Amino acid sequence: MQKSTIVKSIYLFVLLGYVLCPFRLFAQDRFDVRASADTDRIRIGEQVKLELTARVDPGKLKEAGLQMVFPSLPDSFNHWEVVDRSALDTVTSAGTQEQLLRQTLTLTSFDSGRWEIPALKFEMIAASGSVDSAFSAPIGIDVNTVAVDTTKAFKPIKTIRTVAWSIWDYWLYMVIGAAVVLLALGLWWYFRRRPAKAPAPPPAPLEPAYDRTLRQLKALEAEKVWQAGNVKEYYSRLTDILRTYFEEQFGIAALEQTTAELLQNIKPVTILNQQRDKLRALLSLADLAKFAKLQPTPEEHADSMQKAVEIVEWTKPAARPAETPDAEGLKQKA
Amino acid sequence: MENTSQDIRQLNEKIHQASAFVDLLNLELSKVIVGQRYMVERLLIGLLAQGHVLLEGVPGLAKTLSIKSLSSAINAKFSRIQFTPDLLPADVVGTMIYNQPRNEFMVRKGPIFANFILADEINRAPAKVQSALLEAMQEKQITIGDTTFKLEEPFLVLATQNPIEQEGTYTLPEAQVDRFMLKVVIGYPTKEEERHIIRQNLNPGGMAAINPVIQPADIVEARKLVREVYMDEKIERYILDIVFATRHPEEYKLQKLKPLISYGGSPRASISLAWAAKSYAFMKRRGYVIPEDVRSICFDVMRHRVGLTYEAEAENVTTENILSEILNAVEVP
Repeated sequence: MQKSTIVKSIYLFVLLGYVLCPFRLFAQDRFDVRASADTDRIRIGEQVKLELTARVDPGKLKEAGLQMVFPSLPDSFNHWEVVDRSALDTVTSAGTQEQLLRQTLTLTSFDSGRWEIPALKFEMIAASGSVDSAFSAPIGIDVNTVAVDTTKAFKPIKTIRTVAWSIWDYWLYMVIGAAVVLLALGLWWYFRRRPAKAPAPPPAPLEPAYDRTLRQLKALEAEKVWQAGNVKEYYSRLTDILRTYFEEQFGIAALEQTTAELLQNIKPVTILNQQRDKLRALLSLADLAKFAKLQPTPEEHADSMQKAVEIVEWTKPAARPAETPDAEGLKQKA
Repeated sequence: MENTSQDIRQLNEKIHQASAFVDLLNLELSKVIVGQRYMVERLLIGLLAQGHVLLEGVPGLAKTLSIKSLSSAINAKFSRIQFTPDLLPADVVGTMIYNQPRNEFMVRKGPIFANFILADEINRAPAKVQSALLEAMQEKQITIGDTTFKLEEPFLVLATQNPIEQEGTYTLPEAQVDRFMLKVVIGYPTKEEERHIIRQNLNPGGMAAINPVIQPADIVEARKLVREVYMDEKIERYILDIVFATRHPEEYKLQKLKPLISYGGSPRASISLAWAAKSYAFMKRRGYVIPEDVRSICFDVMRHRVGLTYEAEAENVTTENILSEILNAVEVP
């Protein structure tokens, strides 16, 4: 082979190498990666800070359409546990175009020995999807156990340590307490200063049951209900007036009782029981008029009204005086 | 047609005369039945109102004796069916049997073909037997093979339930219980009554015989008169108020009952209450219904038609308590 041919071949390979691997050359040119630990030895369980940095030129990266990707470490690797990962921090250097990307990882190990943090891969991903990478240098860290002097005796467990009392431990409670006291004082002051409401006018005295019943009976008579042919309505209203009177005056649930039950239940009320025969005659006639379409004579209609009035008049002595709804309260005030 | 005052007066007189047999019946039955007037009265109400009676009480309270005596006094046919877990519907209604000499199937009628049936301990038989009986009660007819037989009138079923033994029983479902017009709960006789019962049973001459005082046809006629008993619209409203208060107690100022009632009375409850009230008025020899009639039979008509919630059962609230509250709250017309 001729010398010129060999030289041409070398040039050709160099040219091809340059054409085929431009990206790598760009990458080397455009960022510098590094991993450093804050110590090279720890005791078992202690933590070590691993700082990952990449120095890049953002202008050039943008121009080449590249994106930087930091190494992604698993939670546990090669006897190391990742305790914490900080967010990616960006620092721009003054007077230069360069940017420093930084992430701090907190690692720990629970196995003694010399463990290596392997070379970590930083990647540059182009918009076209091609990937270039750069690796940090591996770091070896000694993880030492605690030296135990087995010749010495066991020591007792330490007692609980008391923490010195400080008023500042309770500042929040004191502020809340003071606020409550101030609020209570404020409300007290507000209600004291507020003008008192005018007292409500006393309610109108209730009409005694006796008076109302007599008034209702007179009204029924005046309406001339049976004269208009409404016999059933006449007796229904007549007995309802009487039953309501018994309910209010003697506390008998007369509206919910049948004639027989009512006659039975008035027995303990002596004054009413004395009118039992009159009441029985009236209620029986009313039942016939209400439920059996009986048409009593006009004399019987008038007699029924007369009986009702007589029963109410007879029981008048038992009628209570008129009372206002808050009569008890007024008595107490007096 | 609207009843006039004159019509009701005549009806009242007619019923007063026609119901005289009630006193005769009571007199005849008192020859052998001591106490238990309440049960006998309810049996007559069911008989006159074309309803059936579910009787709840411990054994030995003269249930069988009462209905047997009643059927004797009416000169009617009586059957007693002891319900057991192995009873079949055919044992109640009858079946077709093969007659070898005549080479044909013949109908053999069951014990249900009688005027008075005592279905003893109805809850001991499975549901299909209960259904067979309850269908017969409702339809008043029985179909065996291809032939349908009308049951003889009057037809009264008195079913009993023992409240103390519930193991191995088939409790009647609510829908079936609803078919009984009355559910009567009977208790023990008084000390004095029980003394009479002992004497009567140990009498060397044996117990007195019951003589027929009326015929089944008289009961059928009486039933027609019961239907004619006048019920005023005020009474109808009173019945509706009671039944509706079991469904919507809050509308009758009984909010406290709302969580205690799982379901109220059905329309059949209203019908039964009206029927039973008329029947009761007839027995009291009246041609019209008054509120007392409704109240007197209300517990027996309604107690098996009101469902209780778990809350009510936990608080030992009974349907009787609920019905008492309702009757004390609903205004009497």
